[in-house]
Amino acid sequence: MPAYGHALVFTTTLVVFCFVLWLVRRRSIGERFAVLWLLISACLLVASSVGYRYLFEIAKFVGVPYPPSALFFLAIAGLTLLIIELFAWVSKLNDRTRVLTQQLAILSERVNRERATAGPGAGR
Amino acid sequence: MNAISETRDHDRETRVLLIVPAFNEAQSLPALIHRISSLYPHYDIAIINDGSTDNTVQAVREMPARLITLPCNLGIGGAMQTGFCIARDEGYDIAVQVDGDGQHPAEQVHLLVNAILQSGCDIAIGSRFLTGSGYQSTLSRRLGIRVFSLWLSAICNTRITDATSGFRAMNRRATELLSRNYAEDYPEVEAILVAHRAALRICEVPVEMSAREAGVSSIGRLRSVLYMVKVSLSILMCSLRRPEITR
Repeated sequence: MPAYGHALVFTTTLVVFCFVLWLVRRRSIGERFAVLWLLISACLLVASSVGYRYLFEIAKFVGVPYPPSALFFLAIAGLTLLIIELFAWVSKLNDRTRVLTQQLAILSERVNRERATAGPGAGR
Repeated sequence: MNAISETRDHDRETRVLLIVPAFNEAQSLPALIHRISSLYPHYDIAIINDGSTDNTVQAVREMPARLITLPCNLGIGGAMQTGFCIARDEGYDIAVQVDGDGQHPAEQVHLLVNAILQSGCDIAIGSRFLTGSGYQSTLSRRLGIRVFSLWLSAICNTRITDATSGFRAMNRRATELLSRNYAEDYPEVEAILVAHRAALRICEVPVEMSAREAGVSSIGRLRSVLYMVKVSLSILMCSLRRPEITR
């Protein structure tokens, strides 16, 4: 790869890494995903700098004749895992929201009933 | 003395909560509540308003029933689970599920309660197919129900004829279990399996159902296919899960 191409890849991953750091610092990414994203961006940074020269050897080792395909395979596999993780997290959030919604409805009804029993003006 | 008054005599000490999940059932609810409260004045009624957009709240407000309004639509599973939580937290002995669309016969609620009290089973399911009379649903639905009933009968080693019936009564053990574990969509079939795997006893009681009084079913043609797929998958997944422990 020409030097300017290599520099473009490295700069892009560096921007991603800095963006992730900025988001973590602002707490826009929660702790759960902060570690994951920092890890991903750090891996990308290493891979795009010193790790790039090993890409051909790794591809050859795992039996992929065209090295960029190995990179795409790793990227797609990683993104798939990430999506599965997100699905699991959304399901968990959905369960929590359901419990909160149910408890909110039950408590609201209880409060309304107690207010009605206490008569007008109660609780003011 | 008829069956209902016999029930009134022997289960007056038993605290029963009738859970009615309702989504846009303003037309049929008042008549249902009126029927239940006149037949069973000592039973409590909890209407779970599942984010209705019609005037369900206004229709029920002055009726002799508790109205629990969910801030958003959770689906039949979430609504029923709310009722189970109330029954569990407030120490009801028996919780009975009655649909708000008027399909489930209010005058036969005592049959389910009696089954729990007398036969010692944990869940009593009202089956429309044991007698073969009353509303039997469409042919395609009957076929689907038959498939799931046979499948569950084989797994549970108990004869189940109406696996999808939502007309059912549960004792404290079952209520406690289902308040923790109840499927979000199409929960009836999975609930039987969850209960069986937690070593709860399930029985069926012959009942006569009616066609819905108002509104339309949430399960259309396309959804029927989704229903079959989803419920089949949930049976398979439930069989793979670790059984729940009843308290």
